Amino acid sequence: MAQVTLKNIKKSFGPTEVIKGVDLDIQQGEFVVFVGPSGCGKSTMLRMISGLEDVSAGQIGIDGRDVTHVSPSKRDLAMVFQSYALFPHLTVAENIGFGLKLHKTPKAEINRRVEEVAKTLQLEALLDRTPRQLSGGQRQRVAIGRSIIRNPKVFLFDEPLSNLDAALRGKMRLEIARLHKELKDVTMIYVTHDQVEAMTLADRIVVFNQGRIEQVGTPMELYHTPANPFVAGFIGAPAMNFLPAEMLSEQQVRLGETVLDLPQSSALSGAVTLGIRPEHIEVSDGGEIMATLDLMEKLGSETLLHLTTPFSDSPLTARVDGAVELTEGQTLRLKFNPNAVHIFAASEVRPAMTA
Amino acid sequence: MADLSSGAIPRRFNPWPVTIFTVLFILAVLFLTPTIGVLLSSVKTTRAIALGDLWSWPDRLYLGNYAEVFSNPAVHRYFLNTLIVTLPATLASTALGVLAGYTFAKLPFRGSNLLFLVVIAGMFFPPQVILVPLFRLFNSMGLIDTLWPIFLVHTALGIPICTLLMRNFFATVPNALREAAILEGANEWQVLTRVVLPLSLPALAVLATLQFTWIWNDFLWPLIFTQSDEKRTIMVGIVNLRGQYTVAWGVQGALSLIASLPTLLIFLYFQRFFIKGMTMGAVKG
Repeated sequence: MAQVTLKNIKKSFGPTEVIKGVDLDIQQGEFVVFVGPSGCGKSTMLRMISGLEDVSAGQIGIDGRDVTHVSPSKRDLAMVFQSYALFPHLTVAENIGFGLKLHKTPKAEINRRVEEVAKTLQLEALLDRTPRQLSGGQRQRVAIGRSIIRNPKVFLFDEPLSNLDAALRGKMRLEIARLHKELKDVTMIYVTHDQVEAMTLADRIVVFNQGRIEQVGTPMELYHTPANPFVAGFIGAPAMNFLPAEMLSEQQVRLGETVLDLPQSSALSGAVTLGIRPEHIEVSDGGEIMATLDLMEKLGSETLLHLTTPFSDSPLTARVDGAVELTEGQTLRLKFNPNAVHIFAASEVRPAMTA
Repeated sequence: MADLSSGAIPRRFNPWPVTIFTVLFILAVLFLTPTIGVLLSSVKTTRAIALGDLWSWPDRLYLGNYAEVFSNPAVHRYFLNTLIVTLPATLASTALGVLAGYTFAKLPFRGSNLLFLVVIAGMFFPPQVILVPLFRLFNSMGLIDTLWPIFLVHTALGIPICTLLMRNFFATVPNALREAAILEGANEWQVLTRVVLPLSLPALAVLATLQFTWIWNDFLWPLIFTQSDEKRTIMVGIVNLRGQYTVAWGVQGALSLIASLPTLLIFLYFQRFFIKGMTMGAVKG
């Protein structure tokens, strides 16, 4: 049985509809990541699940119970906020034990559980401090501690790492992944605009765009078989390249002067958009696609090539091994891996996605 | 660097600190002069005051005025009456301001902004306008010459300023804190008492001090609503203290100073909050 069910959820703020009908089932113990550009409605969706925001239409179920109009505190869930939302006047221990104290848990029991949680999150030495004496990462751990101590059925994370610097973000990401492994049966719903977080943490990713779900799937499903150019462009970094092309037959596509044989037939015909990820482009003497190297970004282990092709205005990005020696301005021969080529209807690609 | 400190470059004279200091000093003197006058007259005998001028230094320290004030049972009654009015009215107006302010800041509803403006507009009514209707109202209720009207009027008149201050302060408390508390299982009352109010102690201290001072020092309402000496508050009492044929300047001066002590003590006690409360919200953190 699904633990969290969303049925045709809609949300409007005045005349503006921000969620335009969302259906989703989330299983117990699943780690689901809502991802999408800012303003896509992912945070609003999370706040509606939490009960902090009312739904305009639709039904929310948690554990088989309709909670659409149930107050947030009675939904048995916990939330970690982007701003941590720690109570500044309380110590770390009091922050973590806040919920238990409200529920009139005996003091000894609170202390025992606070210590237990502190041990899990390595906060033991900090229990007497106030939030202002903590670093960003420590604050985030306290916020997580406050949410896990009550053993809620569902955890909600609202961009929990976006206030941290890059190094700490990577570390906390691992800690959250570890936490999910330790708390086996706990369902986690995680909102982020960072696709790396989505890819590394999620059992399933839900891609939101303009108040709708574009695609739901495991990270690898989204990476290998994106349902549309939006998902294709959003998952994977650097983003997928989109190039104008033309179908010659069901299994042949023409790109500029080059004809590529596709391993699978496509139902599309005529003008199409060809999508290829930077990592599936190879610089090779045998390549038939000519491109000029404008700029190189050397990242050490790998190098990103920014190229222009004669048949498209949009720049092309390729990812090659860091050891490859090239000079800017050089004309290169490229080879596209045909197994990794995606064909989309030309009309589906909006300019913003290729930028 | 050595060149700079040796005075190779003449430092230009900046007139502003001196000007500001002078202006502030003159203002301080102007503000304190009446108090010093009262202080001087409170340690002189009535005869000395009648003979000499107000500002002369007393020949000897005469504490008889203070003794007279402290031994006068009417003064005890004035103090008690003032406390009976001031403490509950301060408490009531602040409490109502907290509740209304919290609602306006954190629980907005349709039309709440308009209602907030209406409440605030109450601040701009001169009390004289409602004086006669209020007198007639309380008279018809049989409350004239009791302390009730003073308590009620001060509570009511305090609501706009209390609501304004608390609402503006509560607005600076991040919404995420309220939401986090709610998800932890708190109801709105617990959010207010366990999260928002503890964070608002500076604002609360400032407000309570202002209200206390204003109600304690009030002269108009007790004058209108009370008639017998048993119901007078301290400020009206000072005037009443003059004798039948003479004005007891010395005794009045002594009582004036004693009467202003409670507000001074309250201010001194809360002054650390005062500075904090007034600059609060100016910078984050």
